[in-house]
Amino acid sequence: MIFGDFGMDTASLAGSLESKLAAIRRAGFSQVMISAGDVVGHPAGVAGGARVVRDSGLRVTGLEALRDFEGLSGRLHGYKVDVAKSMLEVCGALGGRVLLVEASTSTHADASAEAIVRDLRMLAMLAIPMGIRIAFKGVSWSRTVTDFSAAGDLVFRANCPNLGLAVDAFDVLAARIPLADLEAIDPQQIFLVQLSDYMWQQIRSVEEAATTATHFRVFPGEGAHSDDLARFVSALDGIGYCGDYSFDVYNDDYQQMPAETVVARAHRAAEWLAETVLRRALPVPDMERLARSNRR
Amino acid sequence: MTNAMGREAVTEPLNPLGVDGIEFIEFATSKPQALGGVLEQMGFRPIARHRSREVELYRQGSMNIIVNAQPADVPRTVQPVETPIISAFAVRVHDADAAFHRALELGAWEIPVRARAMELNIPAIHGVGESLIYFVDRYTEFSIYDVDFHAIPTVDPHPPALGGMRFFGLVQYVGAGRTEDWVEFYAQIFGFKPLAPEVRFGILPKGLLLQSPCRGFYLQLIEPDDTAQYAPADEQLQRLGFGTPDVLATVALLEKRGIEFLASEKVHTSERGALTKARLGSVMFELVHDVPAQPAATR
Repeated sequence: MIFGDFGMDTASLAGSLESKLAAIRRAGFSQVMISAGDVVGHPAGVAGGARVVRDSGLRVTGLEALRDFEGLSGRLHGYKVDVAKSMLEVCGALGGRVLLVEASTSTHADASAEAIVRDLRMLAMLAIPMGIRIAFKGVSWSRTVTDFSAAGDLVFRANCPNLGLAVDAFDVLAARIPLADLEAIDPQQIFLVQLSDYMWQQIRSVEEAATTATHFRVFPGEGAHSDDLARFVSALDGIGYCGDYSFDVYNDDYQQMPAETVVARAHRAAEWLAETVLRRALPVPDMERLARSNRR
Repeated sequence: MTNAMGREAVTEPLNPLGVDGIEFIEFATSKPQALGGVLEQMGFRPIARHRSREVELYRQGSMNIIVNAQPADVPRTVQPVETPIISAFAVRVHDADAAFHRALELGAWEIPVRARAMELNIPAIHGVGESLIYFVDRYTEFSIYDVDFHAIPTVDPHPPALGGMRFFGLVQYVGAGRTEDWVEFYAQIFGFKPLAPEVRFGILPKGLLLQSPCRGFYLQLIEPDDTAQYAPADEQLQRLGFGTPDVLATVALLEKRGIEFLASEKVHTSERGALTKARLGSVMFELVHDVPAQPAATR
């Protein structure tokens, strides 16, 4: 496997959970990020969906995504804690180790750092007995936590061993965040990196960022910012990040294309990143295996 | 950035819940008599039975052990099987209800109430694996057993402890890289404090020790030897440790009762401690040299 660090996202593909996982596996990927809806909406129920994932032979990168969790109070807080517990149980059933949590965009949420830190700590504590890590991600249209630097500050303040960051390349590219900001982040604190690009040169408003992020993302190497994306991945490599990369490509067109066609594009993206950007050397035993299989 | 030792100082009181030791340890097994036999060899006596459940209470000295053969009725809790499993421990606190609600606010998972009519509702949270942690505040004037248990007639309800044994600690197996997570869990919810790595009790030189805020009880977190596969499913409470002022004398007493101790090159009985051979597939007890009269801080 030349690109074992890169994984697909079930949200990028059309079709049933079974056909998505089969296409991902056939394309040579070894890990997959699961969108909760794919498991919860499975015809055989959550247990059946979880079994399909566990039997797929793919490693579960994580489950996504808990949204608008932090900063709420009273009944809303209690409701969201129940939602969080349910997602943690689904994540546990899949054998997932990471739950992706996106910073709140809710206007009902208290935007104070104290409230956010308190709730992130609670969420991380809920996840400890289940062996799950919480990857907290800033989103550019959040009211308070718009990027990984802001998310990193909160994670640092919360100071929980199983609470870390998810860094989304899209947000970094769209908001033109300087790569030097990455150097302030402890690589051990990054639990997940999500990679995608988009087609336009520039994003002009928060609204456009939100629409682009949810409908018009493309795989790395396909978009208008390949050089920036390459620098971003190299910078992560440079600070010592050696965790998972997941392609979080949400694209309406890809939802109307056969999963095989879309995973083929993802495969090209993984090859580009592994061979051209990161120049990953193949481990020697794999080289030998490759040579043997080529001779057959 | 973070590690178990280098954290910010705790600003809360050192014993926020008024933790005051362990009220009971619970085993779950579908063969309660087999485990009862082992416990009796270890010096425990059966003294009471639960009013409505297939649950027995064993006791010696200050130690209560509950043997639970009741099929589990709550998800993610131990279903009794032949091999006994440590399925719960109960922490004595100043106010169980307050401790329980504080734990929930911090992010503990609550266990649904299971008490029947006229039974006590003992609040509990999910612990490691499928185990539970109970909060108990009735242990001075009257006990939880006065309400929920029938005493076994003619039996001394307070049998003395063999060799002065008392609860010393629990060994918890944790997944690779998971020690810090569990330190956080026990520190935040109960006020347990990690001890310096060079502090060792007993004869087994592994794992990180957590001291209870009352300084009377320890949890020992042990990661797997090989860092092979991270498997939260394998996390569990693995064995129970008894403190005794004279390990060798207590070992001699227990050997007379048919208990065998490990005697390998690496693990063998000494003045510092001893480890019993596994019984019923999994049940082991560790003895640790411990003199309760000494102030805990200077041990």
